[in-house]
Amino acid sequence: MATLSEKKTCSERMENFRRFIWNPETKQFMGRTLINWVWISLYYLAFYVVMTGLFSLSLYSLMRTLNPYEPDYQDQLKSPGVTLRPDVFGERGLQIYYNVSDNKTWDGFITTLQTFLTAYTPAAQHLNINCTSDTYFIQDTFDGPNKTKLSCKFTSDMLQNCSGLTDPTFGFPEGKPCLIIKMNRIIKFYPGNGTAPRVDCTYVGDDSRPLEVDYYPVNGTFNLHYFPYYGKKAQPTYTNPLVAVKLLNITRNEEFKIVCRVVGTGIISDNVHDPYEGKVEFRLKIDD
Amino acid sequence: IQLLEVTQHVETHKHIKSDDHKLSTEELEEKYGTSISKGLSSARAAEILARDGPNSLTPPKATPEIVKFLKQMVGGFSILLWIGAAFSWISFGIQFAQGAESPFDNLYLGVVLALVVILTGIFAYYQEAKSTNIMASFSKMIPQQALVIRDAEKKELPADQLVVGDIVEIKGGDRIPADIRLIFTQGCKVDNSSLTGESEPQSRSCDFTHENPLETRNIAFYSTTCVEGTATGIVINTGDRTIIGRIASLASGVGNGKTPIAIEIEHFVYLVAGVAISIGVLFFIISVSMRYKILDSIIFLIGIIVANVPEGLLATVTVSLSLTAKRMAKKNCLVKNLEAVETLGSTSIICSDKTGTLTQNRMTVAHLWFDDQIYSADTSEDQTTQPFDQSSQTWTALSKIVTLCNRAEFRPGQENLPVMKRVVVGDASETALLKFAEVVLGDVMDIRARNKKVAEIPFNSTNKFQLSIHETDDRNDKRFLLVMKGAPERILERCSTIMINGKEEPLDSEKAEAFQTAYMELGGMGERVLGFCHLYLPENEFPDTYPFDTDSMNFPTSNLCFVGLLSMIDPPRSTVPDAVSKCRSAGIKVIMVTGDHPITAKAIAKSVGIISATSETVEDMAKRLNVPVERVDRRQATAAVVNGMELKDMSLQQLDEVLCNHSEIVFARTSPQQKLIIVEGCQRQGAVVAVTGDGVNDSPALKKADIGIAMGIAGSDAAKNAADMVLLDDNFASIVTGVEEGRLIFDNLKKTIAYTLTKNIAELCPFLIYIIASIPMPIGTITILFIDLGTDIIPSVALAYEKAESDIMNRRPRNKSKDRLVNEQLAVYSYLHIGIMQSVGAFVTYFTVYAEQGFLPTTLLGVRVNWESNAINDFEDSYGQEWTKYQRTYLQWTGYTAFFVSITIQQVADLIIRKTRRNSIFQQGLFRNKVIWVGIFSQIGIALILTYGLGHVTALNFTPLRFQYWFVAVPFAILIWVYDEVRKLFIRRYPGSWWDKNMYY
Repeated sequence: MATLSEKKTCSERMENFRRFIWNPETKQFMGRTLINWVWISLYYLAFYVVMTGLFSLSLYSLMRTLNPYEPDYQDQLKSPGVTLRPDVFGERGLQIYYNVSDNKTWDGFITTLQTFLTAYTPAAQHLNINCTSDTYFIQDTFDGPNKTKLSCKFTSDMLQNCSGLTDPTFGFPEGKPCLIIKMNRIIKFYPGNGTAPRVDCTYVGDDSRPLEVDYYPVNGTFNLHYFPYYGKKAQPTYTNPLVAVKLLNITRNEEFKIVCRVVGTGIISDNVHDPYEGKVEFRLKIDD
Repeated sequence: IQLLEVTQHVETHKHIKSDDHKLSTEELEEKYGTSISKGLSSARAAEILARDGPNSLTPPKATPEIVKFLKQMVGGFSILLWIGAAFSWISFGIQFAQGAESPFDNLYLGVVLALVVILTGIFAYYQEAKSTNIMASFSKMIPQQALVIRDAEKKELPADQLVVGDIVEIKGGDRIPADIRLIFTQGCKVDNSSLTGESEPQSRSCDFTHENPLETRNIAFYSTTCVEGTATGIVINTGDRTIIGRIASLASGVGNGKTPIAIEIEHFVYLVAGVAISIGVLFFIISVSMRYKILDSIIFLIGIIVANVPEGLLATVTVSLSLTAKRMAKKNCLVKNLEAVETLGSTSIICSDKTGTLTQNRMTVAHLWFDDQIYSADTSEDQTTQPFDQSSQTWTALSKIVTLCNRAEFRPGQENLPVMKRVVVGDASETALLKFAEVVLGDVMDIRARNKKVAEIPFNSTNKFQLSIHETDDRNDKRFLLVMKGAPERILERCSTIMINGKEEPLDSEKAEAFQTAYMELGGMGERVLGFCHLYLPENEFPDTYPFDTDSMNFPTSNLCFVGLLSMIDPPRSTVPDAVSKCRSAGIKVIMVTGDHPITAKAIAKSVGIISATSETVEDMAKRLNVPVERVDRRQATAAVVNGMELKDMSLQQLDEVLCNHSEIVFARTSPQQKLIIVEGCQRQGAVVAVTGDGVNDSPALKKADIGIAMGIAGSDAAKNAADMVLLDDNFASIVTGVEEGRLIFDNLKKTIAYTLTKNIAELCPFLIYIIASIPMPIGTITILFIDLGTDIIPSVALAYEKAESDIMNRRPRNKSKDRLVNEQLAVYSYLHIGIMQSVGAFVTYFTVYAEQGFLPTTLLGVRVNWESNAINDFEDSYGQEWTKYQRTYLQWTGYTAFFVSITIQQVADLIIRKTRRNSIFQQGLFRNKVIWVGIFSQIGIALILTYGLGHVTALNFTPLRFQYWFVAVPFAILIWVYDEVRKLFIRRYPGSWWDKNMYY
């Protein structure tokens, strides 16, 4: 086999490159004459305009097929996720570490809770109705204003000792902090199959020792009249019901791992892949 | 002449200091410590063997396997992928040190990338090794045996055990086992063609006839063959020290360059790597300036590299080439070097041997002259009858002479073989006559038995005739028949009458004139002419007891009756003229390079079409115009027959001029050394040159050629070693099928690359839009690898089976500097047209999946940071629902799967449009290439398995996708097909137009 490629010197390469940029003989700029460049640009312009048009048309027709009230599928939302407030997310997940004697360590937690609960003031909830029934609040028609559905009121005072009203420090300085558990909204999800789901917090890994907690509202239940959720468009003022957990007897200067599950039929909390489905785990350490 | 050139050739490099041919037998015995009667002792032989090594040629130095393997590991795109892997590990290291949540993703990605490189490297290495193995097994031959005298005993030894001083005996048919100084010969003739290319056997004797060891008659050379007779000799050189060994080692010095396809692939790799690196760096800068973390930017960079690099492509190219190599092997072209498959396709000049390649390599009776008329005989390979007029009495007489005055015999035990295939003991002309007679008359041996031979004078160079006297098979005719054949003018001299229509007529000047005309005509056709005459000896003078004595010649050898002429030629193979005309229409120049006589060479060149019927050489023109050769305008002559002697005196410029100005060239009487000069001359014209050769000293030219083609049957090992390809049937026509395959694979590789490059854009766009618009990641790096190395592999190989769109043998060979494998049009059309359409289709699917699960397109813009945050487990969608991180990630994987599926679906369309570059799919036919359908089904099958079978393996990032999402991209697939049909329609309608120039790749 013979050598086919002949080596070019650097200056030859530069010369070739210059000729490529502007070739005075053929009046070509980067391999094309100017008029050719105009044509090709026009072609690409037209091509991309058409492609953009097709893309927009596709998305437009996609939007036309969608139901504005609820998504077509909830493949991933079989069971709700559970979240915790305050939610300080460290390297090892949710962690609530503070020192009772150092208010700087827990100020942040209180602010988070207060900010979170501003959505639950009577003023914020004034469009929602008071519900008393302990069954699902099923609405087949749009009874609310502007073709909406009604939502039940959940005000922070329902959290009693943990409402931040009686104790603005949520028990943090006493070493008996209030934590708020929230269950994620899923449209037309009926938790508990007729019985109100409730929150149950335990130590992780050490079952022998019961965790002393107070739940607010009583029993730590999410009342059934907050369910089902009909979506943002139908229930623009809907707020998630909450359960507050007041940890009563936490040994100081020791780190604990605590899990709060939402217990109820249809709520899965043993998905190995998803640590936040049906439960929330966090680490707690209170120093003094 | 030729031997002298070889000598010069060899001497310029290594001086031959040998005077063994001048020494007497006794001196030789002394020099080598041997005895002619007893040979060496076994112990002494073993000593010498230990000193000199075995008597075999050292095979050319092979690249160590590990180096070949490592080359595969770093060649092509591997470097880019290694960089990607390194970046992955670096970012893993950083993340791990920072204690981030899931740093192992990057570790795995790095491992996967490294695995991809290693596996594709192993694959390519394996493919290479496999094709090399075919060759290795081929070249392994039955070990040669030699008859040696050792310890005063005759022994059969493997030839590689021979040592200097051994006494060997050879007989007709043997290959000479080493360089031998002959000490005893009997009618020994050797065929030196493997050394010199000269096909005429040369006699060997014990006499010192020439100063030059290569010219003298008392030395026989290693690897030449003894044609007839027997000889005994002393081994004077073994192994690499033989003349052949020296030439072979010379050949290995000729440089080995890159094949055209290797250059094309390199060009392509640079192009894609250039695109990958520039886009990567550009977006690295963009992402850094958009305040992404450096680490994130590095991860984007990896993604961009992975998306841009067609990981599976080089493996695909290797497979396609080896498929073609296999196909070619079936058509008798055995390819040693995979890349040579394509080289043959870009060949623009073929320098072909005559003997054996263009011709059948056997003398055959071509014409007869009797009754003042020339008859043509059938010279095809498988003649069973001869159609010429056999009714004349003269023919009966002539056939008798042909049959009887002939010493050649069939080897026994071949009665069932066709006549043409039988092995004959005898020289080439006699063999031709024997076979001719056998075909026409039937059992020759039986005729000879019935006409018992009573005396014979074999042919010798002084009297130039052969004579024998026979009894006749006619019981009533007691006369003896004297038959004679020989050089026509010598035969005519001895005749006083001539047979016309079975009657003896006096040989007057008019008849002699007719003889001359016929003789000239046959000779002018380059044929070897023999004259035949006979005489019935009068019964009264020669009774059946008459003692014939061949020494005193006590019988008449003049005043005979001239019967006729037979002319013989090594006829062209019947497939060759067609193949040459195919070459011509394919724009390939066929140059004949032969050691034969110019007249014979020209005659064969004319009969196979290398010199076409209408074209003339300068000499022809001079003859026609009746002017001296010097006054003819050389430029008007399209053909040229160049003699080796002329070539010797030519300057390089003159040679270039000849090669340039004449389209039909024959080089005659050339030495193998001159072949090299011719090849170099052709390469100076910028041609891709294929050279055929069989002799050892062809090997430098074979190496020098862009593609060296060795003959599988007649070829020497050295030629096969130097060549890139071996013609198993030694047939020129096989080269043409090879050219066709080579051109086809070039076209098909274009299609494969176009197919593969297209989806790179659909894999790249997600990253770019992810960086710019901060949407959730549309496709994962691992998923991309599943496309590149999973679904796309079989379809891109399937394109290698595509039939040619038009007659590829009707266009000129590609211009290697202009017709690139991957040209601008191909890249632009794949990247910026079809690639963009694919991306749009895939993005529509992506947005559909997200929208139907709750995230409308508008919601997705700018969500990247929150979306990917592990801390946010109540991420709100467009409907107010809240999602945990895992639920989002799972949706993201569903998005990956949807994107993957859409690319796959659209690649089906891409595959179909890539079947043709110019013709409509309907012209090409959807079902002619069945393998394409295997490709389509495999593609969809693999996608189904990944999606539904492995959809639960989280590490692979596939999810069982809802079935309807498979169809979202279908309209875009149809659009791709329609767009491409329109493109091809305009290309066909408006050739040479702006559209054609910009859209045809």
